[in-house]
Amino acid sequence: MNRVQRVLAWAFGAIFVALSIVVSIETLARKLLNYSIQGADELGGYALAAGSVIAFSLALIGRNHIRVDVFHERFPKRLQAWLNVLSYVLLAAFAVLLAFVAFKVVADTLAYRSTAPTPWQTPLIWPQGVWYAGLVVFALLAVGYASRAVWLLIRGDIDTIDRDFQPKSAKEEVREELEDFAHRGGTQVAMPPSAEFTAGTREAA
Amino acid sequence: MTIAVPAILIFLLMLATMLVGMPIAVSMAAVGIIGGIAAFGGPFIDSIAPVVWGTLNENLLTCVPLFVLLGELLLRSGIADRMYTALSAWLGGLPGGLLHTNIGACALFAATSGSSVATAATIGTVALPPLYARGYSMRASLGTLAAGGTLGILIPPSINMIVYGSLTNNSIGKLFIAGIVPGILLTLSFMVYIYASSVISGTGKREAKLPLVDRLRTLTFLVPPLVVFGIVMGSLYLGIATATESAALGVVVALFFVWRAGRLNREVLETCFLQTARISGMIMLIIVAAFILNLTIGLTGIADAITKWVTSYGLSATAMLLALTLFYLILGMFMDVLSMQVATIPITYPIVTALGVDPIWFGIYIVLMCELGMITPPVGMNLFVVHGIRPDKGGIQDAIWGALPYAAIMILFTLLLMALPGLATWLPSKM
Repeated sequence: MNRVQRVLAWAFGAIFVALSIVVSIETLARKLLNYSIQGADELGGYALAAGSVIAFSLALIGRNHIRVDVFHERFPKRLQAWLNVLSYVLLAAFAVLLAFVAFKVVADTLAYRSTAPTPWQTPLIWPQGVWYAGLVVFALLAVGYASRAVWLLIRGDIDTIDRDFQPKSAKEEVREELEDFAHRGGTQVAMPPSAEFTAGTREAA
Repeated sequence: MTIAVPAILIFLLMLATMLVGMPIAVSMAAVGIIGGIAAFGGPFIDSIAPVVWGTLNENLLTCVPLFVLLGELLLRSGIADRMYTALSAWLGGLPGGLLHTNIGACALFAATSGSSVATAATIGTVALPPLYARGYSMRASLGTLAAGGTLGILIPPSINMIVYGSLTNNSIGKLFIAGIVPGILLTLSFMVYIYASSVISGTGKREAKLPLVDRLRTLTFLVPPLVVFGIVMGSLYLGIATATESAALGVVVALFFVWRAGRLNREVLETCFLQTARISGMIMLIIVAAFILNLTIGLTGIADAITKWVTSYGLSATAMLLALTLFYLILGMFMDVLSMQVATIPITYPIVTALGVDPIWFGIYIVLMCELGMITPPVGMNLFVVHGIRPDKGGIQDAIWGALPYAAIMILFTLLLMALPGLATWLPSKM
């Protein structure tokens, strides 16, 4: 799963870094040289369509699709497990619905050979094809997660559900931030220049 | 009247499903879809299709992942961490010492990042060990960090403003510009409070002044965030770029600074990309769900019905806003703030604009309500974050009590904004 995440993350990043460069050049050329390479707007839309569907899957794997846990964490363990499973089942249902409506969009585009109403007249099937594929992947992943959750519930494995399907708590988010912080060697960089201050920091550490 | 009451009940039901822990996006989409099918039958599904594609193909919203990426780049490359050093050299000499630095660093960090959790976590990790070692009150330290972190969504660029602008069809550029004056004033209010409480209690600390040469040297640490902020906001204000274009320019400049800092490597980029994707995926799914819900609300005329029903009571705009403040204060205690904002705007926005409230002003107001929600217990995200990184052992109540004065300042500030709406609307009117 880590490898899949990495590949998806790079694909996502490449899309938006490339877009930023193109859009920046377009903006500067338009203002400074009064020359417009048309279509940066259009490209931005397609980048978002492709990027978002990749991001849906990454957020699913990282348990980032947001849930409120204030009451949930106070419920009895068994009820918590049921709600966790229910929320994954509903998320999967939503993902499948999105893939289904995307199919309708793509089918219409194919039937009418639609092109974008822009100077480029992009055949819409290209961006929409990528978008649809991404939503199908997201739906399959979501169904996979939901099936596992249901299976665990049938087997009565409440502990595993508790571990893998719990809403992400603030504690976990903080821990992730701290790990990254320690990793990038933040404390040394951040130490103020005064000698007194440095000594203080060392004491604390 | 007939449709308004059941609609409000359904809306409350939706909030309830969110509160028992269902994914926010799913709760909203489910209510939208079930409501739509109940009103129009199966064909409703067909009308969702263009909404989903239209939302995810909207160039305006492309600035969401771009601004998230911008903040991540400055954060993960360590550029943001260094700001604290510079600000402690400049602000530490005031009564209240490093507490000012906390607020100042949060405000400056906010100017480049859309995420307040990252703001509070980063500044907190840098700041708390020295604060602890030098005997600053833990309550005051945690309070300043939690409250300072909320500035992230008021000082542009702000993800919450982008979401508000796209849901209500208002200019994101104008919202950003409108956030500047309130953002600066709220920052100053926090610092005035620290100053006053340090002087009055007589226990306030201050740091020894560094020689001017040393202080000037730290200024180089402030260059990257200030340049990025200047380019993003400058291009917006001068009308050179749209929100998405200014975000793209910001990303390119941030990449340059990351390269200059020698951190443009595989590992940093991978972390940035993965984090950006996760955050953007979460936000975009909520936005898609919100637009589906909006479709149902629009087609059924529910928003109109509720607006008519509420306005028939003859409430003034001020009375309505005061009631809403109470509503958001309570809701914000229990809900994640972005979710709160997205879930309530489709109902509250038509009501207040029908009462003559300026849409840009209301955007700033909503963001203030979200800020408040981040530091009010039991669910104040920033309280958990700063509590999670404190170096000593102690209860969450220290963070709660520490942040309380700032929550009070925010409420007073909201009232001030109601009395003087020009604080938010003047600057964007000059664009």
